[in-house]
Amino acid sequence: MITRPGGTLATRPLHFIWICDCSGSMAGEKINQLNFAVKEALPAMRKEADENPNAQVFVRALRFSKGAEWINSDPVPVEQFQWVDLSAGGPTDMGRALSMVADELTIPPMTERALPPVLVLVSDGQPTDDFEKGLARLLEVPWGRKAVRLAIAIGKDADRDVLAKFIGNAEIPPFEANNAEALVRQVRWVSTVVLRAASSPASQPAEEAPASNVPIPEIPVEFVAPSGEDDVW
Amino acid sequence: MYEALAPGKRLRSPSGTVYQVGRFLGAGSQGEVYRVGAGGAEYAVKWYVPGFATPEQRAAIETLVRAGSPSPAFLWPIELVEADGVPGFGYVMPLRDPAVASIVDLMKARVAPTFRSLVTACLELVEAFRRLHAAGLCYKDISFGNVFFDPATGRVEIVDTDNVTVDGATRRVTVNGTPRFMAPEIVRNEAGPSANTDLFSLAVLLFYMLTISHPLEGRLESAIHAFDAPAMRRIYGEAPVFIFDPADASNRPDPAVHANAERYWNLYPPFLRDLFVRSFTVGLRDPRHGRVREGEWRAALLRLRDAIHYCRSCGAENFADARKTCWNCGTDLRLPPRIVFGERSVMLNHDTVLARHHLDGVSWDFDTVVARVARNPADPSRWGLANRTGGAWIAVRPDGTRTAVGPGQTVALAPGLVIDFGVARGEIAV
Repeated sequence: MITRPGGTLATRPLHFIWICDCSGSMAGEKINQLNFAVKEALPAMRKEADENPNAQVFVRALRFSKGAEWINSDPVPVEQFQWVDLSAGGPTDMGRALSMVADELTIPPMTERALPPVLVLVSDGQPTDDFEKGLARLLEVPWGRKAVRLAIAIGKDADRDVLAKFIGNAEIPPFEANNAEALVRQVRWVSTVVLRAASSPASQPAEEAPASNVPIPEIPVEFVAPSGEDDVW
Repeated sequence: MYEALAPGKRLRSPSGTVYQVGRFLGAGSQGEVYRVGAGGAEYAVKWYVPGFATPEQRAAIETLVRAGSPSPAFLWPIELVEADGVPGFGYVMPLRDPAVASIVDLMKARVAPTFRSLVTACLELVEAFRRLHAAGLCYKDISFGNVFFDPATGRVEIVDTDNVTVDGATRRVTVNGTPRFMAPEIVRNEAGPSANTDLFSLAVLLFYMLTISHPLEGRLESAIHAFDAPAMRRIYGEAPVFIFDPADASNRPDPAVHANAERYWNLYPPFLRDLFVRSFTVGLRDPRHGRVREGEWRAALLRLRDAIHYCRSCGAENFADARKTCWNCGTDLRLPPRIVFGERSVMLNHDTVLARHHLDGVSWDFDTVVARVARNPADPSRWGLANRTGGAWIAVRPDGTRTAVGPGQTVALAPGLVIDFGVARGEIAV
């Protein structure tokens, strides 16, 4: 029975992109842990997206080792998105990965009207190609500049300077994923809390100059606290 | 994420009641919610995450517990609880009715309430906030996720009441909410939350519920590519323009994006639209005197509900004295008779029920039924009003003749007929 004219609230697309280091050093436990963490977080991500009437969330994943390739050829609505387990082996062509993300953030295929994309770079090592060039290409593209960029450093060999440059915001350091549980929590946090912030950013105190165009809620202290043997030198 | 409380954990309270933790229900940014049981009854407990379990928050909850809920619509803190071996605290509140839907469900068209239910939900929301403000409190954080309603009846439930504070007590703070509901002066960080800013948020919520669109999102919004925090500050704070501002057409709905606004706006009678115009013109700029107050919304929403009638052709609900044709099938609308009590009138549809408030205009009693519209069993084409009270009415025809209408009896409806109910006199008009 038709009760009212109907219609749903107008939405904007929100593109969420996983950029995953699949180099040789990730092989074995680390890549398994990453696969686990993303799959674990998916139901919470879907629930978060479901409770948001302003955004239509799309998810994609890009893997890089020797070169880079998209796991999904097109953005997938989060309701239908399924994680394909990644395998690892080869070098760490992070620059190429960023360049490919830049290509997908140009208009088209991006639309004219959207919410800030969320880019999450997960890496355990150092880039083996021209990272600066890839990053410059990403930041040349308006949607690349407007994106929320976060990074998760897996293990002590990850190049935190490079990840910090990708993030481009002194107030947001790369997250430290030194064990499986930490990775699970951080992946879940970006899949839910950051997702929500990108579609409904909190207002900012007038006294502070806005540090970024998408204020991220307070990052849990344990995400960025150093731990393990690096503490003692 | 943390699941601080394990199933079976016992929670102590000042009243001595021991609550036993059951199922984990969900987590928000401030805390986790669990189902708990005590003495055969079930409740919900919100347990704060470590960062939010502060002495200030504890004192705030204690204040709310002492004050008591101003309205049954609020899921209000009943008492504080603590757990042995687990730092921090939480509070007990009533469980949410599983049958209720959220405003998110309404926005995504997952529920299809009638106009009658929806307007009832609006009325109940307004009344809940009226009582909250009358008690000297303010809510601060109206949003899609904390308002629920029963699509069948319109009954509402409002959650996250632990943010409620005494009006005027909170100064400028970083508010972790969506700017879409925030008063412009808060978006611009010129003021803190108050009952006046609640009134703005209430107006936005009512606009969302009645038009499935936002009052400040028109062409100016669709022209923006990346809708990030600076863009939102501009649209909702620095340069807000009502999409139907009579004096400023710069932000009219973009037909490609904001179709709902056009679809719904013209359905409603001018007396309701005028309140939205005021809310989002004068109300944008004047927090103290420019916003529509709950009493005004309440009167207008009741008038709106009493204006509902059905299209003769397709049965769709329409509003009297608004459009001339049915929004659903386009047929010319023919209005049924109405009963007029001074300035108030009620459309007399086949299912209309008159309650005590319709007669006295002050009691807000919609439960006590006074009259029902009924058909003449011998001649179904003749309609009448059935007396459901224990006393007699006096019906006065245009020619002056008077008849008593006793309890259970029905008087035939005719233009010009006046019915004296005792407490009020209503005239039938066509």
